Amino acid sequence: MTTTMDRTASAGHSAKSPLIEKLNVFTAFGLGIILAVVFYVLAAKLIPEDTDAMLIHTKHDQIILLAMIGWFIGFMVGIGALIGPFRWLLGKDLSHDENMFYAGKDLGTKRYFRYTTDHKVVGIQYLVTTMIIFGVGGILAMLIRTNLGNPEGGWIHPQAYNAIVGIHGIIMIVGTIIMITGPFGNFVMPIMIGARDMAFPRLNALSFWLIVAAIPPILSSFFLGGIMTGWTAYEPLASESPAGMDGYIMFICIFAISTMVAGANITATVVRMRARGMTWNRTPIFIYGVVASVALALPAFPVFFLSQIMSAFDRAMGTTFYNPAGGGSGWLYENLFWLMGHPEVYVILLPAIGALMEMAPVFTRRPLFSFNVAVMGIAGICGLSALVWAHHMYMSGWAPLLNGPFMLTTELISIPTGMLFLVLVGTLWRGRLWLTVPMASIYALLWNFMIGGITGIYLSDVPADGALHGTMFVTAHFHYTLMGAGLTGAVASLSYWFPKMTGRMLDRRLSWVSFWMVQIGFNVAFIGMFLVGLAGQPRRVESYNAMFNRGNMVTTAGAYVIMTGMLILLFAVVDSWRNGIKASDNPWFAKTLEWSVPTPVPLENFATLPVVTTDAYGYGKAKS
Amino acid sequence: MSQTQTQDKAPWWKRKDVKETATLWVILSVLIGGLAGEVIARSMGAPASETMENTIRMMKIFTWVSAPVAGLVGAIALKSLMQKRHYGDTPPAESDHEIANSPKASAVWIVTSGLLCLFALVFGMIVMQEDAKSLQAPNAIHVNVTGQQWLWNFDYPDNAGVRSHDLYLPVDRPVIFNVSAKDVKHSFWIVQMGVKVDANPGYITQTAVTPNKIGVFDVRCAELCGLLHAYMQSQVHVVSQADYDAWIKSQGGRA
Repeated sequence: MTTTMDRTASAGHSAKSPLIEKLNVFTAFGLGIILAVVFYVLAAKLIPEDTDAMLIHTKHDQIILLAMIGWFIGFMVGIGALIGPFRWLLGKDLSHDENMFYAGKDLGTKRYFRYTTDHKVVGIQYLVTTMIIFGVGGILAMLIRTNLGNPEGGWIHPQAYNAIVGIHGIIMIVGTIIMITGPFGNFVMPIMIGARDMAFPRLNALSFWLIVAAIPPILSSFFLGGIMTGWTAYEPLASESPAGMDGYIMFICIFAISTMVAGANITATVVRMRARGMTWNRTPIFIYGVVASVALALPAFPVFFLSQIMSAFDRAMGTTFYNPAGGGSGWLYENLFWLMGHPEVYVILLPAIGALMEMAPVFTRRPLFSFNVAVMGIAGICGLSALVWAHHMYMSGWAPLLNGPFMLTTELISIPTGMLFLVLVGTLWRGRLWLTVPMASIYALLWNFMIGGITGIYLSDVPADGALHGTMFVTAHFHYTLMGAGLTGAVASLSYWFPKMTGRMLDRRLSWVSFWMVQIGFNVAFIGMFLVGLAGQPRRVESYNAMFNRGNMVTTAGAYVIMTGMLILLFAVVDSWRNGIKASDNPWFAKTLEWSVPTPVPLENFATLPVVTTDAYGYGKAKS
Repeated sequence: MSQTQTQDKAPWWKRKDVKETATLWVILSVLIGGLAGEVIARSMGAPASETMENTIRMMKIFTWVSAPVAGLVGAIALKSLMQKRHYGDTPPAESDHEIANSPKASAVWIVTSGLLCLFALVFGMIVMQEDAKSLQAPNAIHVNVTGQQWLWNFDYPDNAGVRSHDLYLPVDRPVIFNVSAKDVKHSFWIVQMGVKVDANPGYITQTAVTPNKIGVFDVRCAELCGLLHAYMQSQVHVVSQADYDAWIKSQGGRA
């Protein structure tokens, strides 16, 4: 432990205030709740009452939004996010000891409940949080499917049903956005590029704890009347919604900040901190997937943030950004939303496909086929996805003359997407297939993403969209891409990197059982949904004509199979984490850098930083 | 790089595994194209306008065009799976080649997908123009559609004062819908005719169609519009011109 003179000076100062050691998730929740209540009470007292003469009533929304801002400030102060910036304001920085404490040195499991900067701790925090988010979203999905088990609408009140659909949607979108860049982008990525940590470790902790801060507002919306708009929160319906909408707005705003922070951090890390000799041609393809994803999120999420701020102003301050009566336009919201909303699906997909492309050479024991085409495909998707947003608006009547140009850009995206297929099947061809869950997941991805992709070609076509827009066909299509392709990649990543992250193997038998149940249940459920969509069942309905009954029964049955499979996976993860078979440092005999460090990975990863002389795909005859 | 297939004397297309993959490709393509095309046509039901007929035909053609792509991916993936499998805790031996690239294969793949893309685009544009013809027809009748939570109002401006909640249309005559909404966004959708446009408060949007079958068809709202969105349904009665005139008269119009 080397401390220079000026470091000791600042350490001497901070020794008087061991505040940094007192803050953790409990103080964060405590302070958050206290400030929320204080803000609520003060706002209720001080803000003047609405009168009947007023055109719109704003007081309730102002109170709720202020209380949530109180929660946000309290939580971030309580977790210790402001200690660093506050020191800088005083013209000082954290001492070496404090930085070590921040990194979670010698803290054991306590470090998982603190503002810890070690990227491996953040990775595990993200993993557990993602699983919790999927758990909540999954329960909501099962409520939806159970309610749709019979045509007359079930036992859920339409208002509650709409809230469930909307919150299922947005929380799953957030879950899938973080499911790979969060856990594996944080835990694995820095080791894979030969770095000791992220470029900005404190921003890394910040991005994670922002997500935790964002979750209570969206869950609270259940108790504030729910959101009745679906995950898209279209205006002017959103302005009409009860105060639950404010929870949605706060959730998106905080999450958008988290995504921007994480995006800047990951991009900086990959650009600046790759090991010596790791040229762009030697950088693993998973890194490309992650960087492309966050680079895409960087311009997209500020737009989302802004769209929700404007929504909040319309609700609470009487502005009319989206209200046609005051010169606004609902189409403005749609444009802002989809400017984020379409890049966002590739934010979800690219890391998943990148991860599976990373695993393909390992489990076929041959080089990745056409690395350059893979990079071109990822870059092509990145570029084009910023230009396709209005294909969600073909039927909105906003600008019929733009339908042709957007049809062009949308169909062009099938070219770079096709390149990724070429890379995957090219790698399978004449390989020796080591049949593990990640290997099988590559097949599942090819199958699911092919269906998701081809149904996307129908939807990209304007006349066909006239029949299919707003139907269950669309719902099935994006579940095939985000769940069938994206989540499959995430589960494969989990079983591939589980040994490095936990030191144990994920139970093989249980993960196979789970794999088959989820994949079969998924295909049964969503092919049923395609059929009712083609036949004309609208999305987001809580009751439907009797003619759709059979398809919905099939979907509901499939959903229960998925649920069982997911519960088995959850059990496998928990059980293997605690008492699974001990894993060696490199159980898959892979060549990327993360397998070259010991398990558990020590603080700062590498004793001496590695020097890279070749790419990581040197499998095949000559090298064996 | 691509010093490939050094062990094979025969040209690549004569190799056994390539031939088998090609056979598999043909079989899979026909299966996928036939099966998916049939499922789509059956599920979408009987069309009630030329627009819907075009849409179904186009989706079938798109299916047949993408079937060879899906078939090829499937064939390569399946053939690889059938060739060399390995189970166990330790990895298999390294594969017997180190092909990392094939510029030819990549180029063919990219050019082909580009051409398919172009085909889809041009074809889609043509059908789009075809469908837009009803919008320019001189003999078209107009219907003003107003969505409100949670029902549809149909006004017939050629006969001031006539309003209904079920839509009545004469067969084989172009109809132009001027669509708007009172409160929030809705989406006006005639299921069997394959036309749809959002109803926006404060703005008028247009769509047009020529019904070509007598019968009763469905209008559904296709944009989540709040509490009773699921129940925002209505019907279209497509009748002969004479029956239509009689209905207009019965509603107090001039016919």
